[in-house]
Amino acid sequence: MGNILEASGLTRTFDQLIAVDDVSFEIAEGETFGLLGPNGAGKTTSISMIAGLLEPDSGRVTVEGVEISTGSTKGKASIGLVPQELAIYPDLTAVENLVFFGRLYGMNREELARRVDEVLDVIGLTDRRDDLTKEFSGGMKRRLNIGIGLLHRPRMLILDEPTVGVDPQSRNAILESVEQLSSEGMAVLYTTHYMEEAERLCDRVAIIDEGAIQAEGTRRELVALVGETDRISIAAEGDLDAASSAAGSMSGVREAVTGDHTIEVLAADASSILPELLGRVSGAGVNIHGVEVIEPNLEAVFLHLTGKALRD
Amino acid sequence: MRSALQITVKDFKLRIRDRSAIVLGVIAPVALAFILNMVFGSAFDTSGGLDLGYGLVDEDGSEVSQAFAETLEQLEDEGLLTVTVFENREAAERETDDGDLDSYFVLEQGLGQAVLSGSAATIRVIGDVDAPTSTQIAASIAERFVSGVEATRLAILTTLEVGGATPTDEMIAALQQEARSAAIAYRVAETAASTRQLDPTTYFSAGMGVFFLFFTVQFGVSGLLEEERDGTLARLLAAPIRGESVIAGKAILSFLLGVLSMAILAGATTLLIGAEWGNPLGVAVLIAAGVLSGVGIMALVAAVAKTPEGAGNLGSVIAVILGMLGGTFFQIGQGGDLLSQLSLITPHAWFLRGLGDLAGGASWTAVLPAAGAMMLFAVVTGVIGWFMLRRRLAR
Repeated sequence: MGNILEASGLTRTFDQLIAVDDVSFEIAEGETFGLLGPNGAGKTTSISMIAGLLEPDSGRVTVEGVEISTGSTKGKASIGLVPQELAIYPDLTAVENLVFFGRLYGMNREELARRVDEVLDVIGLTDRRDDLTKEFSGGMKRRLNIGIGLLHRPRMLILDEPTVGVDPQSRNAILESVEQLSSEGMAVLYTTHYMEEAERLCDRVAIIDEGAIQAEGTRRELVALVGETDRISIAAEGDLDAASSAAGSMSGVREAVTGDHTIEVLAADASSILPELLGRVSGAGVNIHGVEVIEPNLEAVFLHLTGKALRD
Repeated sequence: MRSALQITVKDFKLRIRDRSAIVLGVIAPVALAFILNMVFGSAFDTSGGLDLGYGLVDEDGSEVSQAFAETLEQLEDEGLLTVTVFENREAAERETDDGDLDSYFVLEQGLGQAVLSGSAATIRVIGDVDAPTSTQIAASIAERFVSGVEATRLAILTTLEVGGATPTDEMIAALQQEARSAAIAYRVAETAASTRQLDPTTYFSAGMGVFFLFFTVQFGVSGLLEEERDGTLARLLAAPIRGESVIAGKAILSFLLGVLSMAILAGATTLLIGAEWGNPLGVAVLIAAGVLSGVGIMALVAAVAKTPEGAGNLGSVIAVILGMLGGTFFQIGQGGDLLSQLSLITPHAWFLRGLGDLAGGASWTAVLPAAGAMMLFAVVTGVIGWFMLRRRLAR
């Protein structure tokens, strides 16, 4: 599959602040690419440059081979933007919002009418089509916000934190929609600071912090990149030092340390050693009260790479 | 252009739905024009004397007092004022107190004798406190008459002094004729001035219209900042349209709202309170130029402001200052020459001046100087605002 989006060396400063520093990545057809980072990491600035809203100080963006810039309309019809803010008009109905933006994309009357019906169906607002959007719930507004981005059948969809402030039911509906679009061949650029969303949706993830991409790859690649391991936390009473020593001598265990009424064990694959581990710990004369297995995730990767939590 | 019009149509729909443009653009100016006309109409009545109602009490009965009465009759014959003759002051005062007269002249006993004997000639003017302008005009008529009589008397006395003769009938007749001429000269000057004055109803209608116009046009161009605040601007700029189309769409909306509100205002005040705007084509030219000047100035305000609230505040301050200075609430000529000259730095003053030029029944071309001045405002402020807004969008 060819690349729909190619961003290379994007850099943008505001006064003395470097908001985005040499950001590069590509997104292929049918691929969902996540830009994962905390608030203020540079996600929205990157997206603004990719969507042609903001001119980069250096670097370039192409969508389907067409260079995107603020001064040109070329290539913009291939992009569907779903801004983080609710970019809809509250005093227009759902249909009026869709029709207005559809016309800006040059859609003719018949095509527009057909697509409006289809999109309303996809976002589940058919029965509210003629209601003013100011009467919608937050989740419904979010869905319409996404629907407008989809209306003109873009080759690439950019979603900037589309689930912020959304109830769990609507969030799930949004994530399902994105999965569906991706499976239909649309390239998706998805920014979020929710690790679970990135893990669920994204084929590849770039971790961005302080304007720069810290690492990029599939979830497994990122986890391997930083050498993260599974963590087994055993709550127990008794001779915990002896039990730690017994656990540490097992093959497959990288490290075992005694904590406060716990034994913390780091292992490459927790599931394969867990039965033997529990037997050895028990055999060392301690009473086990509970076991928790924590697999490494993007949150841990982010913590490892940046030294701070995603929600900082 | 198509994209700009789509944005205009969308914004027009939004403005009609939130009713703010209707309230500020139509209801407020019509209501205020009506109220101001009711409250201040008589005080500002300078419509060439058509509504000037005066009384005359001739206690003297001399040749000189007769000359003054004839002068007033001539002015009445030309429709510039109405004169009612009273037997005594009490009757005239009653009429004035009742508001039936603006003021009355009292030609006191001995006026003629005083003139002939060289004493000071005095005509008393007693006016209604609610009609100060009418009273001022009455005082001016009397003053002009007396000045003319005094000047002639002095000339005759000088002649007599030199020649050692007594006044002849011819001399007295000449004195009377000079006095009449003096009053008529004054009347001619006043008539000329009146052609550039609007009647109070039209004045307040136009004044309120152009005052609120600057608030109304703000709805268009400042909408750009609202789109920026609400996040919809990003979506507009992400579409395959030029940034200039967004600005143009807003500017067209401003123009449309301005023209509509002024047109409705002109129609409503004509039908409801009898405003006389003048030649329709001339009024249309003035409205178009006035609206464009408003769009230019408010585009500049939007370009300078950082938020819609900031634009609203700054725009309101500018609209009020320009409106006051431009004479939309009171006729600026009453504020002296300096204020009168200063007012010309406002489109409001040019708009009212243009309507004044039409008020004498002139053709539409009479408004071209005023329209040209307003277009100058529009071009200068509009071009600067346009480039600043364009730069703002192409970050």
